[in-house]
Amino acid sequence: MTISTVTSVLVWLPIASALAIWVLPLSRYATGSLAVLVSLVEVGFWIEQAARFDFTRSGLQFSERAGWISDLHVSYHVGEYGFSLWLVGLTVVVMAAAISYGFWVGRDRPRAYFGLMLFLTGATVGVFVSQDLLLFYAFFEAMLIPLYVLIGVWGGAGRLGATLKFVIYTMAGSLFMLAALVVYGIHTGTFDLVDGPTSPSRWLFLGFMFAFVIKAPLFPFHGWLPDSYREAPPEVTAVLSGVIAKAGVYGMLRIALPLFPGPASYYRTTVLALAAAALVYGSLLAFRSKDIRGVVAYSSLAQSGLIALGLFSGTNLGFDGAVLQMVAHGLVSASLFLIAGAVERRTTTGELRLLGGMARGRPALATLLLAVGVISLAVPGSAAFAGEFLILAGAFQRAWWWAAIGAGAIVLAAMYMLRLISAVLHEARGSTVGDEALDLRPGELALVVPLVGVLLALSAWPAGISHHSFAGKSPTNSVQGRFK
Amino acid sequence: MTGPGIVWYLGVAAFLFGTGALGVLLRRNVLIVLLSLEIMLNGANLALIAFSRHVHNGAGQIFALSVMAVAAAEVCVGLGLVVALHRRRLDLDVDALSELRG
Amino acid sequence: MTGGAWLCLLAPLAGTIAILLAGTRIPRQAAGWISTASVFAAFGGAVWAFFSLRAQSGHDGEITTAWTWLESGSFSAGLQLLVDPLSSLMMLIVSGVGALIVLYSIGYMHGDEEERRYFAYMSLFVFSMLLLVEGGNLLLLLVGWGLVGLSSYLLIGFWHERPTAIQAAKKAFVMNAFGDATMALALFVLIAHSGSLSFATSFATAGHLSQTTVDLVALGLLGGAAAKSAQIPLHTWLPDAMEGPTPVSALIHAATMVTAGVYLIARTHPIFEQARTIELIAAGTGALTLVVAGLVALVQTDIKRVIAYSTMSQIGYMFLGAGVGAYANGMFHLMTHAFFKALLFMAAGAVIHALAGEQDIRQMRGVGALMPFTKWCFLAGALALVGVPPFSGFFSKDSIVAATLGLGWYGWIFWACGVAGAFLTGVYTFRLWFLVFPGEPSELVRRAFGSHEAGDEQDAEPRGHGSEPHHDGEGPWTMLLPIGILAVLATVAGWLQWSPKWHPFTTWLEPAARTLAIAEPTSTQEYVTSAVTVAAGLAGIAVAWAMYAGGRIAVPGAPAVRRALEHKLYFDELYDAVFFRPAAALANWTRTEFEEPAVLQTGPDLGQTALDAGGLVRRLQTGLLRTYVFFLASGAAVIAVVFLLVR
Repeated sequence: MTISTVTSVLVWLPIASALAIWVLPLSRYATGSLAVLVSLVEVGFWIEQAARFDFTRSGLQFSERAGWISDLHVSYHVGEYGFSLWLVGLTVVVMAAAISYGFWVGRDRPRAYFGLMLFLTGATVGVFVSQDLLLFYAFFEAMLIPLYVLIGVWGGAGRLGATLKFVIYTMAGSLFMLAALVVYGIHTGTFDLVDGPTSPSRWLFLGFMFAFVIKAPLFPFHGWLPDSYREAPPEVTAVLSGVIAKAGVYGMLRIALPLFPGPASYYRTTVLALAAAALVYGSLLAFRSKDIRGVVAYSSLAQSGLIALGLFSGTNLGFDGAVLQMVAHGLVSASLFLIAGAVERRTTTGELRLLGGMARGRPALATLLLAVGVISLAVPGSAAFAGEFLILAGAFQRAWWWAAIGAGAIVLAAMYMLRLISAVLHEARGSTVGDEALDLRPGELALVVPLVGVLLALSAWPAGISHHSFAGKSPTNSVQGRFK
Repeated sequence: MTGPGIVWYLGVAAFLFGTGALGVLLRRNVLIVLLSLEIMLNGANLALIAFSRHVHNGAGQIFALSVMAVAAAEVCVGLGLVVALHRRRLDLDVDALSELRG
Repeated sequence: MTGGAWLCLLAPLAGTIAILLAGTRIPRQAAGWISTASVFAAFGGAVWAFFSLRAQSGHDGEITTAWTWLESGSFSAGLQLLVDPLSSLMMLIVSGVGALIVLYSIGYMHGDEEERRYFAYMSLFVFSMLLLVEGGNLLLLLVGWGLVGLSSYLLIGFWHERPTAIQAAKKAFVMNAFGDATMALALFVLIAHSGSLSFATSFATAGHLSQTTVDLVALGLLGGAAAKSAQIPLHTWLPDAMEGPTPVSALIHAATMVTAGVYLIARTHPIFEQARTIELIAAGTGALTLVVAGLVALVQTDIKRVIAYSTMSQIGYMFLGAGVGAYANGMFHLMTHAFFKALLFMAAGAVIHALAGEQDIRQMRGVGALMPFTKWCFLAGALALVGVPPFSGFFSKDSIVAATLGLGWYGWIFWACGVAGAFLTGVYTFRLWFLVFPGEPSELVRRAFGSHEAGDEQDAEPRGHGSEPHHDGEGPWTMLLPIGILAVLATVAGWLQWSPKWHPFTTWLEPAARTLAIAEPTSTQEYVTSAVTVAAGLAGIAVAWAMYAGGRIAVPGAPAVRRALEHKLYFDELYDAVFFRPAAALANWTRTEFEEPAVLQTGPDLGQTALDAGGLVRRLQTGLLRTYVFFLASGAAVIAVVFLLVR
């Protein structure tokens, strides 16, 4: 295996392992161990790729191209840019944590479960590395299948409605994207993202954006978010919020902005307004949400708005900040949902009015929830702060009111996050918190602490991502130049 | 060839076809519907034969013979259904037999 | 020099990490000693940096960069530390006073079940504050700023099972977050115009901005400073912050964190000088706060709250000094205030500790008879606070008041406020003194010192600092030694500068923060001001003696005014009504009126529409033979007609 095939390995290794798990009659323990092992091997491959990546060179790296449907000029074309490298890293790390969580907790029908999780890993990595539109679409849809089953089978009480809503919403958006990409492909003669030309068509831009705006999600297309995030098993929600949502904003960055520069400028203010609305709306609803998952889910909506604000501000700081925030928020929300899962397992509920006083006697839980919580509200010094600062500074350069709205959201974030922390950890003991609700076990710590460790490392050196996402001095030029 | 012009034959055929069609649409008894269906087929046959004679091509007459064969087969099936219905003491009323609905 | 700076910064962080990782493996007291050692190490680093800087000619200072923290395009902000006269002064104050207070905490927090967490947070705080003052660019200053707010939240809410403590902690954090937001906006403006946040570039850019723009930048910075320093109108969090343990109040809410606003104005004074109006607004805010806080302090019954309002008032003096341009005077008062205010808090803490948690001054009397050391130290602090010579407050406060005289008509108003403040300070400080220390010990005090049974304590503070009253006199040495040291400092520190005659302090700060010419008073002005303020202070003491000595509490009339003061001028109620309730109501309204019916229902509604449409189509399947035949026939007819016509 040569260096340049690492990208394909990252995509197909988990899928192949999924098939193996579905076929081979392994025991529960063996299945779980194999899945965890494969996910860790993925992380290893990614680290190797990151180590060999040349951040000073622009253009696609680790690329591979093979013919697929040559009549339509559709090819199997994958490769990595700086920002996609970080997103792939986010994916493999969060999936490793989620799979390990599933292993720790013990899901029934393990072969189906772990196979689906691995399949999801491969499909998501595929989304981030595809450089061909049809391939991108295929992986985008492929992400949905395991999610549908994972939520629908292993989810909570309202899982069927939630998963149906989720799939239909996302598919509706994807259908518009399919129409748009088919028109684009036929019209320009190629489906390749690297070679294909830009297009001035506003309808195509809207078609693509519709899918991404539902996936991210942005206000007001987030109707699927609260139910899915509540009903899915905690590790799946962690993946949904941390990784899948980033596929939506990645699509905006990789496809919508470079391929349609004219329409992007034309609709810039509209999208910025939607993003700002998501930021404020999500923060407000998080502030009064009744359960842990609700708070974090609406907080994710707000953060998606912030990231979109950064992308569409069209400034250098905005782009770098958006990529940094994608990674930082992905890690933060994954950790929060895993911790929420730990709390729910102990108290059978996530409802805030039934919780409280969990800090006493549970130092590990208190420390981790506090640490992740304050990073989530972007306490200065954290990676999330660095991302938010860059995004808002970039937005300010576009127009001062975007930054002012963002600054207001900073205060709201403090309010809702502290409310969450206090409602779980502080004051009197909640009615559902009993003595048998122990502190975080070593197994759970082994999942969450690495995520938090990466977050702290990122907080110590955010320039690691913010300055290494786009080659060259100016991300704006990079985007305009189609990353060549 | 002498005799009435083709228009008359077609008129009769149309009349037969129309009568049959009205019968299918308006009558409620299953047997009458089948009867009317036969009349429609005969009307079509007449038109075929008239045209065959008019353009001096035997294909129309041969086609009419095939139609008769098909009609016979279809009548067997239809009457078989009627007998089955009658055996089950079901009402031989087309409007009552409406379970195949959405 | 830079080695000292790094040692100073990183030692407390190392302390926090050590305590965190050691967890329950180390005994509780050990956490205290680790923390104390780390802060003393920081002090050592500060001393090293100070002397290296002194040795440098020109005292310009040095910037050292570890790595580039944040970088994007042409903007970059490094992990930079700046050692210059201003920052080295702050380093010494923060680490020095901090070390004494952490040492004091060992005795104060002895017996608390979560001592380790406390000391981890204390070290974290000292690290954050040092990052703030050592930060070599505005972004790093903002980082330190925010982390200090975080540490404050953690420490105020330390006894997290108390709802009032948690509420107070959240309030403090959110108000400070508001200040952070305004500061961030100011920084965005600077980035938009200059692409950098280093001090030099930002100060240079400020000179080229339009007046409105630089005013906005200064206003944003002032917002942050006012929030952090609890100046009106962002002051309501400070009295509630007294829910935290007393050493926390001493360190964070007296000596260091709340003075960060003054440091900010002094540090970014080139920007403020371009926006002179805003700078004068800062001075006005200080003047207003110092009077209002003094008034409210007159009616407080909790010993810590009196001292808290006193802090607010004294920081008003510092804002006044920095706002008019007398940066060195403001910083000098910051230093002396750190000493005597920390002393007052720690002495009060000793009293609270001895009385097993009682904080209401109406229950205390004659404590001095049983705690003589504390009494004399408190008196030293009180005299320093009022500004009686030769105690330190005299030297620092009066020079600020005198500096206002050069400013024209509003200078006179500021001067009057300063004098009135001195009077009020005398009244409320000695009201506290007379009610608590002299005279016959009250019932409670006697019980606290006489009884040896464990079940006797009042339950004002439910946990911590000993579950039984002290038998070993006034307190352990870890508590009394810092009090003593600070009492000495409160007495002598003022002798460092006597403005008319000798001013090494101002000279030291000159490279970093030169006093504006307009804020340099003449000798006459200085002498007159000093005389007047001292007289005012002594008059205040006399009034307090008349009203409160002998244990009588003479309540002056005007119940409406009294009630207004007791409610702290209704600021809390105002903010609740204007900010919190609308936000909560808006959020609830959004959820019930919009999110649930509209957004969440869109999916099910679309599904229902699809089902309804299907239902409509379903009606075509009547099940009747005749309908089907009819459609068949008419369809065929239509096709035939169309075919004929088209042909």
